[in-house]
Amino acid sequence: MSYVRGLKCRECGREYPKEVLFVCEYCFGSLEVNYDYGRIKKDLTKEVILRRPKTMWRYKELLPLDNDPTVGLNSGFTPLIPANNLAKKLGVKELYIKDDSVNHPTLSFKDRVVSVAISKAREFGFDTVACASTGNLANSVSAQAASVGLKSYIFIPADLELGKVVASLIYSPCLVAVEGNYDEVNRLCSEIASKYKWAFVNINIRPYYAEGSKSMGYEIAEQLNWKLPLHIVVPSAGGSLITKIWKSFNELQKLGFVDSVPTKVYCAQGHGCSPIVTAIKEKTEIIKPVKPKTIAKSLAIGNPADGYYAIDTVRKSGGYGEEATDAEIVEAIKLLAKEEGIFTETAGGVTLAVAKRLIENKIIPKDESIVLCITGNGLKTQEAVIKALPKPLKIRPNLASFEEQIKNGTNQKIADDKVIEYYI
Amino acid sequence: MAKRVVKLTFFDESVKKPLTFQMAKKFDIMPNIRRAKVTETTGELVLELEGGEQNLDKGLAFLKKEGVIVEPLVGDIVE
Repeated sequence: MSYVRGLKCRECGREYPKEVLFVCEYCFGSLEVNYDYGRIKKDLTKEVILRRPKTMWRYKELLPLDNDPTVGLNSGFTPLIPANNLAKKLGVKELYIKDDSVNHPTLSFKDRVVSVAISKAREFGFDTVACASTGNLANSVSAQAASVGLKSYIFIPADLELGKVVASLIYSPCLVAVEGNYDEVNRLCSEIASKYKWAFVNINIRPYYAEGSKSMGYEIAEQLNWKLPLHIVVPSAGGSLITKIWKSFNELQKLGFVDSVPTKVYCAQGHGCSPIVTAIKEKTEIIKPVKPKTIAKSLAIGNPADGYYAIDTVRKSGGYGEEATDAEIVEAIKLLAKEEGIFTETAGGVTLAVAKRLIENKIIPKDESIVLCITGNGLKTQEAVIKALPKPLKIRPNLASFEEQIKNGTNQKIADDKVIEYYI
Repeated sequence: MAKRVVKLTFFDESVKKPLTFQMAKKFDIMPNIRRAKVTETTGELVLELEGGEQNLDKGLAFLKKEGVIVEPLVGDIVE
């Protein structure tokens, strides 16, 4: 049974039926799912949620499906880890990691949005799904389409790293490497989406797809015993996740699950692709598109589709925005691994590096609760850190050799130009 | 006749010039303003443009040359 009233334009408020629509035909604003919160409030209680399996679907009334989900049944409800070692290191009192690097099935938060998008696409009767992607989304669409026998077309820029390509290709999608930059992939995909009757998860299914991100916010609240953190740091590419986390917190208040929304929301971007953070710092609401140049490729979106809404979220919440250099990103990835045993991808490095800076600059106070959203797994972006790691100790197979090496101390760094030679 | 939906972003000097009007007149393009946001230093226009295919290309190239950022409306969807 659906709790969705229809779609609503985020700009002019005009309402539309729940169909395959994504832009307002009057003002070209993007459309968002509009729910019947009165009915949800009657049917969804904390007790009902607690009785359900620990997946993102325990909040299914707040997700835009008409029926039960048909893919991604194990997605979500990732751990919220009290990061005590890291907290000590950063000098803060209460720090948590929301760890979507272990999300099911493809180890990133994209499994949340794709689970909703493909379930919805099946409700609409599509037999083919597609997406434009640089990595995590491609992996998730490929895997989840394969799990239910849908055809999938995945469009990526031709110069992507092999690792990201392999993690999609293994699921046998039709992977299309476009000889062009990100902008050109975008343009091509909007053209293809208007001609072919496919479910493009991040184009014509976008209003439904984006709602999947809200599950991360519901989980954080539940895992903190229905209390919201005072500060949350969220990595931003297109700006959708940060707005949906904010939406989820406000929905929880509307439904009476939390008393208030005291949370300040902080936007984290990589230096070299920080159009949202720049606009926040310059106090403007107009995004200036940039040509991305950052190792955080999953955040490398120069013209963020939800940029305006991300800025609005940060302002309304009283948060701020900050950026991290490539070197800071690598250091932060290493720090999270060393202190908490979590290997995150570059986007997670951005989040931690930005949080560190916000704490150092006293923008986030040290004695209040902080959640860091870690959205992806480090195994996918190993090339980003490989040069910053030491080589293993090499010994002969006897005790004497081991003890001799151990005496010499720690592992040595491999020279930059020898890294590839060493590992391959 | 072809139609295209674009988002134009104006900064600095380009805010002060009547560039949309000039483009429309010079390349025989009919702009239909659907959404706009203008501050003292920046401007954002969402337009539906109607004109000959080549004229649209030339018109948008003219705007880019004048420092306007021209993007298809969907923004970056690669994620």
